[in-house]
Amino acid sequence: MQDALPAFVLSSEARFKVMSVSPVQPQAPAGVPDPSDERLMLAFSQGSAEAFAELFSRYKQPLFGFFRRRLADAAQAEELTQETFLVLLRSAARYEPRALFRTYLYAVAFKILRVHRRKAIFRATFFGTQQPAKEPATRDAHDANLLVRQALGKVASMEREILLLREFEQLSYAEIADLLHLPVNTVRSRLFRARLSLRDILAAPAPLAAPANLTESEERA
Amino acid sequence: MNITSHPIAPEEVMAFLDGELSASRAQSVDEHVKHCADCADLAAQLAETSRQVSAWQLEKLPPALEAKVCAIAEKQFSETPGFWLSLVSYLRPQPWLRPILAFSFLGLVVLFFYPNVRHETSILQGWNARNVGKLESANRSSRPGHESSPMNSSQASKSAWILNSQSEQMAFTTATNKPEAYATEKEDSVAEPVPSPAPIRPPMIARTISLRLITRDFASSRASLEGVLARHHGYAAQLTAHTAENSQRSINASLRVPAGELAATLGELKSLGHVETESQSGEEVTQQHADLGARLKNSRETEHRLQAILLQRTGKIADVLAVEQEIARVRGEIEEMEAEQKSLEHRVDFATIELQIAEEYKAKLDDAAPSASTRVHNSLVAGYQHAADLLLGFVLFFTEEGPRFLIWLVMFTVPGFFLFRRLRRAVASQI
Repeated sequence: MQDALPAFVLSSEARFKVMSVSPVQPQAPAGVPDPSDERLMLAFSQGSAEAFAELFSRYKQPLFGFFRRRLADAAQAEELTQETFLVLLRSAARYEPRALFRTYLYAVAFKILRVHRRKAIFRATFFGTQQPAKEPATRDAHDANLLVRQALGKVASMEREILLLREFEQLSYAEIADLLHLPVNTVRSRLFRARLSLRDILAAPAPLAAPANLTESEERA
Repeated sequence: MNITSHPIAPEEVMAFLDGELSASRAQSVDEHVKHCADCADLAAQLAETSRQVSAWQLEKLPPALEAKVCAIAEKQFSETPGFWLSLVSYLRPQPWLRPILAFSFLGLVVLFFYPNVRHETSILQGWNARNVGKLESANRSSRPGHESSPMNSSQASKSAWILNSQSEQMAFTTATNKPEAYATEKEDSVAEPVPSPAPIRPPMIARTISLRLITRDFASSRASLEGVLARHHGYAAQLTAHTAENSQRSINASLRVPAGELAATLGELKSLGHVETESQSGEEVTQQHADLGARLKNSRETEHRLQAILLQRTGKIADVLAVEQEIARVRGEIEEMEAEQKSLEHRVDFATIELQIAEEYKAKLDDAAPSASTRVHNSLVAGYQHAADLLLGFVLFFTEEGPRFLIWLVMFTVPGFFLFRRLRRAVASQI
């Protein structure tokens, strides 16, 4: 069992190397370590286009994943990803390296997501719910995806948010606490509850529901 | 998992797996997990859950979006910033430099304004010191019919505090802005042999003092008040005394005393009790008085001309009547202006003191207080009446306003319920 444990502990640096899929990522010379996100952001704030390209290549997929896992509509996720990078472009001159860049980036993304949700709730309340576009080719391609989506849909909202930030965005407890304005111990206990709850849901022999019977929150992809 | 048999909390096992523990704590948890089957099982379950969650794979970011963001970024980078934007970004100080710059700016502001303030203050102080005695005597001598009393140096020094008060400073600031008053200051500062080109015209100031005193011996204070007024040739324009039994007695009075004796009168009034509040104000009416005098002079000349016309010219009856009517109108205006001028001079000659004397009241124990049982009985009766009144008030309120509220409730509840239902659905769909 001990052999399996280190594989569970993910490092953000490793994650970036795995998730970065940009073909335009500049190749660093052999033996020279990649500059940190904060250095790149500082260079970007001073007008370096290359620094922005590097940051974009590092974070485009994680950021898209952040929105995609929280929104039912893929088009909306793309739109918010674009909006987040545009905010980054506009506010680069005011950037100050007070925290990790990714905390800053996810804080911006989180704020944009909240604004989007608020507008969507208002629209849905007064103008009716708009069904997201169906994507039959990708939505139910894997049963595992559907199972995880269903299980996460049953976890309490705040616990689910903490779980998503930890599992997919790989934020530390302190970063999650900073982002959600919660004490670190609260984050830890809620994350533990979320994982136990998810374990129980996944372990339960529940039959796979047909896509047509899913609730909207479960349809999130 | 029992905490008592496990020195490591389950959450710590999770934190260990997440790499969130310190090195020493992680080592102890690692040791524990190696030897504890329960904790090892929990760790395995958590790892398996994490593995299952990580199976959720997403599609790649569409290349179109990537190209769009890159195009926007390229456009932004290719745009040359404007002159002002470049200047601002160039001059943008480092964080450590900001407090230094802020303090420097503050220092510059102080250096710029402080000499002006100091200069004005010194002018005021010098003017007050030099003219305190002169002003009082000139003020008295310039009033015809005024009952002047000799003002010795001690009285002048007593009145110095009046001039140093804030309101007086305001009045004198106005005075220093006037050419003749400023000439007075200049005149004092130059050598004596130079003859004065114009007589000194001190400003006419109507003074108002507000004074509140607390006295222990109310009866003697009241008697002394009349004595003070008689000694200083003042009078009470209005006086109200409250002398109810078993309550605080007080006197509210509006006193008028000659301006020259204001300082002495105030000194004696203050000796009647303990001064609780005191405020002073002065209104300069020099300009108003001068304007009134000029208008009065013109009107008198007009009246003389009209009278000359009436005496020397002959004409129709209608013309004579028109001239007489005009004379009557001008005469009315003259009398009004004369009355106003006298009132103005009276306000300057006689300062107003708004005096309030209150007794230092101590409540007395009432010998004929009702017994405890009577008071309890009365309280019970009063309590019952209050409760009954309150209940009756509720009943009356709901009887009167209830139907209206019911209608509003129905009007708002039905759409509110549907709105709430839609809101709940919308929130559920967005979480």
